[in-house]
Order: sequence, then C-alpha cells, then structure tokens
Amino acid sequence: SPGSQASLATMPEAPDVLEETVTVEEDPGTPTSHVSIVTSEDGTTRRTETKVTKTVKTVTTRTVRQVSGAGFPEGPEPRDSSSYGSPGDGCFTLPSHREAFSVGPEPGPPGGRSLPERFQAEPYGLEDDTRSLAADDEGGPELEPDYGTATRRRPECGRGLHTRAYEDAADDGGELTDQRPAFPAVTAPLAQPERGSLGSLDRLVRRSPSVDSARKEPRWRDPELPEVLAMLRHPVDPVKANAAAYLQHLCFENEGVKRRVRQLRGLPLLVALLDHPRAEVRRRACGALRNLSYGRDTDNKAAIRDCGGVPALVRLLRAARDNEVRELVTGTLWNLSSYEPLKMVIIDHGLQTLTHEVIVPHSGWEREPNEDSKPRDAEWTTVFKNTSGCLRNVSSDGAEARRRLRECEGLVDALLHALQSAVGRKDTDNKSVENCVCIMRNLSYHVHKEVPGADRYQEAEPGPQGSAVVSQRRRRDDASCFGGKKAKGGWGKKDGEMDRNFDTLDLPKRTEAAKGFELLYQPEVVRLYLSLLTESRNFNTLEAAAGALQNLSAGNWMWATYIRATVRKERGLPVLVELLQSETDKVVRAVAIALRNLSLDRRNKDLIGSYAMAELVRNVRNAQAPPRPGARLEEDTVVAVLNTIHEIVSDSLDNARSLLQARGVPALVALVASSQSVREAKAASHVLQTVWSYKELRGSLQKDGWTKARFQSAAATAKGPKGAPSPGGFDDSTLPLVDKSLEGEKTGSRDVIPMDALGPDGYSTVDRRERRPRGIGSAGEASEKEPLKLDPSRKAPPPGPSRPAVRLVDAVGDAKPQPVDSWV
Amino acid sequence: MSYIPGQPVTAVVQRVEIHKLRQGENLILGFSIGGGIDQDPSQNPFSEDKTDKVNGWDMTMVTHDQARKRLTKRSEEVVRLLVTRQSLQKAVQQSMLS
Repeated sequence: SPGSQASLATMPEAPDVLEETVTVEEDPGTPTSHVSIVTSEDGTTRRTETKVTKTVKTVTTRTVRQVSGAGFPEGPEPRDSSSYGSPGDGCFTLPSHREAFSVGPEPGPPGGRSLPERFQAEPYGLEDDTRSLAADDEGGPELEPDYGTATRRRPECGRGLHTRAYEDAADDGGELTDQRPAFPAVTAPLAQPERGSLGSLDRLVRRSPSVDSARKEPRWRDPELPEVLAMLRHPVDPVKANAAAYLQHLCFENEGVKRRVRQLRGLPLLVALLDHPRAEVRRRACGALRNLSYGRDTDNKAAIRDCGGVPALVRLLRAARDNEVRELVTGTLWNLSSYEPLKMVIIDHGLQTLTHEVIVPHSGWEREPNEDSKPRDAEWTTVFKNTSGCLRNVSSDGAEARRRLRECEGLVDALLHALQSAVGRKDTDNKSVENCVCIMRNLSYHVHKEVPGADRYQEAEPGPQGSAVVSQRRRRDDASCFGGKKAKGGWGKKDGEMDRNFDTLDLPKRTEAAKGFELLYQPEVVRLYLSLLTESRNFNTLEAAAGALQNLSAGNWMWATYIRATVRKERGLPVLVELLQSETDKVVRAVAIALRNLSLDRRNKDLIGSYAMAELVRNVRNAQAPPRPGARLEEDTVVAVLNTIHEIVSDSLDNARSLLQARGVPALVALVASSQSVREAKAASHVLQTVWSYKELRGSLQKDGWTKARFQSAAATAKGPKGAPSPGGFDDSTLPLVDKSLEGEKTGSRDVIPMDALGPDGYSTVDRRERRPRGIGSAGEASEKEPLKLDPSRKAPPPGPSRPAVRLVDAVGDAKPQPVDSWV
Repeated sequence: MSYIPGQPVTAVVQRVEIHKLRQGENLILGFSIGGGIDQDPSQNPFSEDKTDKVNGWDMTMVTHDQARKRLTKRSEEVVRLLVTRQSLQKAVQQSMLS
C-alpha cells in the first residue's frame, strides 16, 4: 500500500537502552512536539514529550517503569510500561484503506464502565446523558499555561532541538502521568496530600507488567466515588475539572452512581463549582450535573434545587458565552423542568433569562424590526431546542405558569416568529418546532378565561345546545337551505346571508398591532397552525397544532368565534378531516376534539357533519373491529371520536342523517355490545339515543331493521342511567358544555413518568393535556391518563385502570446516532 | 479480549510507527478508524485493533472526533501508535505456553 509503512518497533524483554527522538521542524509559532524516549538498564523507560507552544515550551517527563524493576521509591508509581510482545512479525505494513484500525477504548475502562456507551438520548428523555467530553483540542496549546502546577513547566529551550529531556523536578517522584488523559488539561499529579491513595484519575488505563511477569506490582486502581468527590474540592483546579468530567462519565446511564453521588452529598459541591472562576471547571461541573439531573429518579432534581442549583445555572447561562456551556446549562434545566415541583422555581429564576438570552435571539424575532431588511430566520440551535423544551415543560404547570409565560415580554412573539420561520423554510419536523408548538398549545389553554381583559370579549351565554347565539339564528336557515347547500358541494363558503354575518363581524379596533399574549388568539395564528398541520410529519407537532386550534375554538368569547370562522375560511376543515385518517392515536384524538369545538360554529357543524362523518365512522368501526391486530384505537381516542359525533348530530337532523348514511348505526351498536370500555360504550350509546330522538329518522331506522326495543337496549347496555351525564370520569360524552375547551384536565393529574418502555428518543414532556373541564364543581374527575405511545402505529395499551400521563416524542426524524468512521 | 470492567487488564501492545503520506496538501495515513467513547461499541466498524496511544496522547477515553484529530495533526509527520490487538494477544499467549 502506498506509503503507509509501519515499522514495528520492538522492545526486547531485556531492556536495552533505546532512544527515540522525534524532531519536527516547524515554523515558529506552530505547536511542535518532541518526543524522546530513553530506556535505561534498570528497566526504566523515560519518555519525554516536549511541546513547543508559541514561545512557551513545556516539557513533560514521564517515567515509565517497565516490568520487574524494583519498586519505585515513592508510593504513587508511574504506570507500567506496555510490554512489547513481538510475535516475530518484524516489519509489517499497514494495509491501506479499509484496514481495521479502530481507535477505541481500551478494554476495561475505568470506573467499571463498560465500553463506551453510545451517545444517545435516553428514553426518559429530556436530555441525553453525555459522556464526559474533552474539550476540543484543536490547535492551540493543550497545556494551559496558567496551570499552577508547580512541576511541569520548563520554558524556553530552543525549538527543533533534540531535546534531551531533562528531568522534571517533580518531587513526587514517579511521574505518573505518562499519558495524556482524555481531558485537555495537563495531567495533574497525584495529589500530594493523598499520597497514600492509589486512586487517581490519571490511572485511566492500566497495563500490567509484561506478560511474563507474575509479579503483583502495586497497581493503580480506579478512584472510588468518595475520592472523586473529594477531588472536587482539590486545590488544583484541573483536578477539580477532571474529577467533574470523570464524574459525568461515571454517571452516564448509571442510576446507582447518580444516587450515590447524591447520598455522598456531591451535588452541592458541583453546584458550587458552577460559579468557579475557571471556565473549564464550570463547564465540567455543568456536564456532570446534566447527567445527574437526568433520569427517572427525581431525588437528584430535588437535591439540585435544594442547594440552589437553579439560580446557579441561570447565572452561568447569563455569564457564559461558550456554546457548549450554554448547551449544558439549558440541557440541565430541561432535565430539571420535568419534575413538577421545580417548574415554578425555574420560572421564577429563569424565565426572563431563558427568554431574553436564548429564545428571542435565536428565534430571529426583532422587537423593532428594521423595515428595510427582511425578517430574520430562526436558528435551530441545540441551545434553543433545550430551552424550548424546558419552557414546554414549565408551561404545563397550571394557570399561574401560563400567566407568567404569557406575560413574559417577547416570548410569545418570538415563538410565533420562529414557527413562521419554520413553516417558511419547510422545516417543521424538528424538535424545536415541536417544543414551540407545544408551548403555544399550552398557553392557548383557557385564554378566554385567563388573559387580562378577557371578560371584555365574552359573548352571551350560549343556549343549551351549546351553540352561540349567532348559530341559533342559523338553524332555521340551514334546514331550509339544506338541499341547496348540498348541491353546492365542496367546502366552499356559501354565499348568502350566513356568510354575511360572519364577514361583517367586526374585529375590535386595534390602535396598534397585537403583541405578546394577544398574538395567541389573533385569527392570524390560524394560518400558522394549519400550515403546520399540513406540512409536518412529526406526530407531536401535529397533535399540538390541533390542540392549539382546539383550545382556541373553545370558550364563548369573541375571539373564539372569529377563530372558528377563520379556520373554515382558511380551508382548514379538510385538513383536519384528513388527519382523522392518521395512524397515530394522539393525532386522531386531538383532531377529533378540535373538530368538535369547531362545530360550535354552525356553518362548521354542517360542513363537518357532511364531510367528516365517513372518517369519524371509520374510526368507530376500527375501534369495534380493528382491521389488524394491534391497530385498535385507544379508549381515549374512541371516546373523543364518539363525542365529536355526538356533538355534530345533536341539533342537526342533517348530520344525523349523514350518520345513518355512513352506516354509523351498526358500528355504534356493535361497539356498545363489544367494547371492553365502559366509557366507550356509554359514549356510543349516547349517540344512539340522540339519533333515536329524531322522529324523522325512525322510519329509516326501522327500515334497516332497528326496532325501538333493539335500539334502546343497545343504548341501555351501557351502564348508567339513560341519557344522564356520566358521573365523574373524563367522560365528556354528555352535555355539550358551555365551556367547550377540551376534555377536562383534572388538576392534579400529572406528569407521571411512565415506568415502562420509552422509545429511543422518548421524551416525557409532561405536558398538560388540554382537556375540557367537566364544568365547575364536578367532583371526582378521574385524573387524566395518557396512554403511552411509542411509535406511530396504533397500539392498544394493555387495558388497565390507569395509564401514566405521558407524552412521548415519537422520534420523527431523530434517529439513533449512526456509528461513525473516519478516513484519516 | 475478555475483561472485567474495573479490573486492570493485561494487554499486549505493539508499537507502530507510521510516516504519513503526503497527498496533495494533506498528510494522510491511509486507513480508516472507527469507534470512540461516544460511539456505540456494539456498532464499532472495526474492532480488531485498538489504539491506546497516539504520539503519547491517550486514546482510551476519547471521542471519535478527538481521535481523528489526534491522528491527523498537520504538524506531525509521524504517528506513533500503541495498539492492542487480539491476534497479538493470542500469539503471545501461545508462545508463553509452549
């Protein structure tokens, strides 16, 4: 192979004097390195590496003892040399190209780590654990000049000379650092005070003496965890930094170590280091905290909070310009934010900083936009992703949290701007977008009640059918125009007096452009959400966008009226109906509920009744008779679909007819009979009862063989009094509530982290599900449960009383990191 | 090589010195590397030889990227590697037994 000659330098067993020198001539100013290895008769091999960095030259002398020499005088001994076995290969050529030459870890890495774990996101994932990452050592001096270690530095010495290593005057005798640690810092000598200890971070690799020596030399062992933690307090800063990095490494995917660190009170030490004057120390400490904060066990998160970790992290974020540190800080905050007791703490200490330091700058939003330049695009950085993830979590923490986020200056504006940017660039599947839409969805929840000045916009109480006053007027018109409407076909706006009323609805006069939380409910957002629904393939994003529309269509205030109409005018209804075909449960569910709320608008109701009925019935049918095993919809989804059907067939003879025409009745009856779920059966029977209440339809029903008796019995099979609202539970199948937000979220239902399987990039967002409240005062609501979703295909969770309320990221677009190889 | 994590390991190593080849403006070595502590070990593309050191730099705890950088330093024309490989280990053991 061309040029790649490797000569095997063999070292005979009986040590000879062998000297190797490398000289590299370099221009001044470029780092050079000289290596000199001298082996003398007593078996000591001294290897000296000299680096010339700019005008400073540092000489590191390493003494490597080989084999069976007498014990080294000092306790800490240098590491054993490698043995040089030569199987007689002699000179040997490295084949070119694809020869396997892996650069990998030595087996038996320290600390009992099995071979390096892949850098992957853990399922419980807010943030992935990362192995300790050495800083990039590209260029520049590797040895930090301000090291402060007494021993190492030998300035000057001409460059390019054969440097006879002159021995370091290290008084710790054996230079144990014969090797470069993985971390960029100069190896720290074994701490003098801890002389007796053989534990050392530098002992990352051990080699035994040559293979023919049976002698048990004193060997290095891995430092124990208490020692590592003690090193966090070591006076020499690089020791601190290395210890923190090593700690990060130890903690990686190891819940036991994480727990031990907390028990040994390591967390306050690390938090204290976040304020350390040296950047390297801060970075490493943050890396360790990030791993420690990750995982199901929430005790570490609580402990970090207890020692002031949150304000310390925020401080560090404000101060840090280094991107890696910012990523680590925001990643840690993301981890912490999944733990409910911490959410308000994070808001209190971090909301402003996160918004102004990260969200606003990276979103491309400009407070005072320059009129000449075009709007800036969002930057989808890791820092932004982490921060948006953190805010996503905290936004689910209830009304007060929502209020704080809504009123945080610039936040909503920036998020919207970022989302617009994503749509414009057709980049809507990434995690940051998902996080932003989820925040928007959460902040849209109960806007009609919670934003300042909301009562100004309240409309008259809707009638018992839940339709707005406007709609009631419509009803008669609809009935008479039934034929005409149908004839028109399509989703198009029907001209005529109906439209006129909507068109002439006056949007409140605005003296200035909406900003801040007002942007949440301006009709302009409709287009944004519809774009996301049309373009994105990320199921969580789809669900959140539908959820946002759902939230905005709820409530009886003026803005909701506009929004419902705007969805129709922007041709959003077909988009939603199409998503009813999704294979992903949560998407179907969110869309069904959105459609239900949208049908508070009478025109919408008619259109949805006509064009969505087939899809809705198909979902019911799939629930009752799944086309393939495992394709069954989850209970919550089925109930949502049934409730939507109920909504649209109530007070609309036409829609009830559509149901019949779509052959919905047999499906419903079968579902009542066969479903394992009480809620499903009740919801289905409720629909049937409503259908039966239309006298005009009795004839058709009877023609199809339905008798009153059969119908009633089918309906009554479901437990509970006929037609009465089901008590408690999340069962929204009864009254169309005035407050049709979403299926009620029960306060107290919470961010339960599931114990079982999470996907590779699972992410428990602990979002608050936007749910419709049962109405004031209804007691005994079951807490919301969300079935786990691992992958897009439908899976029926095992029927059980409770399911954890979790949202997982279906890792759309996120793949496991592929193994990398490089050509060198 | 079998090992018990946390316990010292005996490994037979080999010193290898490679002079880089000049190819255009670059100095190349002529082979590929895989692995790194940030990589999944089970998916290591090459696992026969493992490198412990490159020019004195420890390789046992490096990420893939760091390893690549240490091998491709423009300022170094020669790369000295300390490698372990299973076949070597076996061969030495064999020779010890006999």
